[in-house]
Amino acid sequence: MFTQSLEFKTTDLDTFPFPFTSGNYRYSNDLKRLSNINCIEVTPEYRLQVETKRRLLQEQPHIRFQSFPHTLEMQWEVLEMLIDMATDRHPEHYEVIKDGDNWTFKNHIFGESDSFLFGDASTLPNEPLDYIGRHFHNDFVLMVHRDSNFYLEVGQVSYAALFSANWNKGMSFDEIHAPVPFVSKKGDELAERVRKFLLSIEPGKPWTRINWNLMADRWDVNYETMDVWGPQRSEITPENAGKLVRLRVEEQKFYRMPRSNAILFVLNTQFLPLEDLTLRQEWFDLTYSVLQDIPEPMAEYKGIAPFLPQSVEYLSRIDEEQKANINNK
Amino acid sequence: MYNSPVLFDKSVTIVNHFTPRNERRKFVVISDPAGYEKVKNFTSEIAGKVPVECLSINGMDDKEEIKRFILSQKMGTQFYIAAAWNNAVMVFSLGVEAGLSEDEIQTVIIGPKRRYVYCMKCFEVSEVAEEAIAECDHCSASLEIGPFYSIVREGYIGYPFIPVAKEEVIGS
Repeated sequence: MFTQSLEFKTTDLDTFPFPFTSGNYRYSNDLKRLSNINCIEVTPEYRLQVETKRRLLQEQPHIRFQSFPHTLEMQWEVLEMLIDMATDRHPEHYEVIKDGDNWTFKNHIFGESDSFLFGDASTLPNEPLDYIGRHFHNDFVLMVHRDSNFYLEVGQVSYAALFSANWNKGMSFDEIHAPVPFVSKKGDELAERVRKFLLSIEPGKPWTRINWNLMADRWDVNYETMDVWGPQRSEITPENAGKLVRLRVEEQKFYRMPRSNAILFVLNTQFLPLEDLTLRQEWFDLTYSVLQDIPEPMAEYKGIAPFLPQSVEYLSRIDEEQKANINNK
Repeated sequence: MYNSPVLFDKSVTIVNHFTPRNERRKFVVISDPAGYEKVKNFTSEIAGKVPVECLSINGMDDKEEIKRFILSQKMGTQFYIAAAWNNAVMVFSLGVEAGLSEDEIQTVIIGPKRRYVYCMKCFEVSEVAEEAIAECDHCSASLEIGPFYSIVREGYIGYPFIPVAKEEVIGS
């Protein structure tokens, strides 16, 4: 059975999507145009992440993948886009042979080769998005555009942060974000503003934003396992927070699919233990400043309230040590 | 369609008293024996203002007749349902199946409403009272009932938790 203890952390700091640009964080519609529109990345932790993701999908299929039967055509569109991106960006790792509708997709990292008939889901071992998603470390969520809103109709989610593909299946963007109790700096409802923004996204012009959280020694926190991770959060102490608490960063990319008009969310989740923040002093300073200043409702909403004080205390002790070292020199 | 409205205890169509929608071309009133009195009062209130058609039902045995009756109505009709929970759910569902929106239906529930929780452990629904916590009928998980409702799952979210007594046993 899958263990949730976190075995991996980001080692390539140059690609870690550090979320803070100032020492004060509040929710805002911080979407930006995506400079590199190709979302396929092969990180040093690729094998570990993808193997873990596949294990989760194998052991918990109803939790990790959900779809409606009418979405197959949309899923093929996503499969095609991801394969084209993968082979374009990393031809050393991925290869596709297209002979009309007869396709062969190769993943050289795992030494895998799959032949299938494009458009015929019966020739794949899983539904199209579920199949292709197992070759990348990202989570994928397909939100279908209808009546000025988006509805979650397909989701492959292995890094949940207070989320469940099973529960959120079929919900509108507004319903999924219903608990957001905050308003942005400008005073507008954040979810409403983001939804309106997503409506304006055009094919070929994806956007991105970065979301962050803290994780207490967990790969993910979904609704299905609240009874397990809920109590565990209070086991964090200032002494163990450096190793056990991770800065969880979710780089979100939003693509308008040209044929279905749906929006594909591609989520790249990375983790950095608090103790590794000192590898980049600026990251340590910003994170320490942000975490000291988190309003209580935001901490509750993010699910970090039970271990935020211990995490801040850990950072405070490091900060004091650093200052003492400077004074002693 | 998966996102068609379903009737649940906090549905927007559930009202305490019917409101005449005089901009509609016709009113259709459907009631079971429990809703008879409610309908009688309403129909006297609106008499002569808008054309009204009434249908009295007994229960599931009348399903086909209700279906035909709803399908025979024209656009611009406002539907009023006064019934006990099970009958109200049946009529509401048939209305939605026929293409009605929630705006075109008002429902008065006679007697108790039913409420369901969706267990995030076993993905089954259990009937619950108006309470903050419950036990899943299927897997016995302790559930904290959240405020969010899923029309796909047809229940409120049930967050699993370990009650204090059990937590002590596990930790001991």
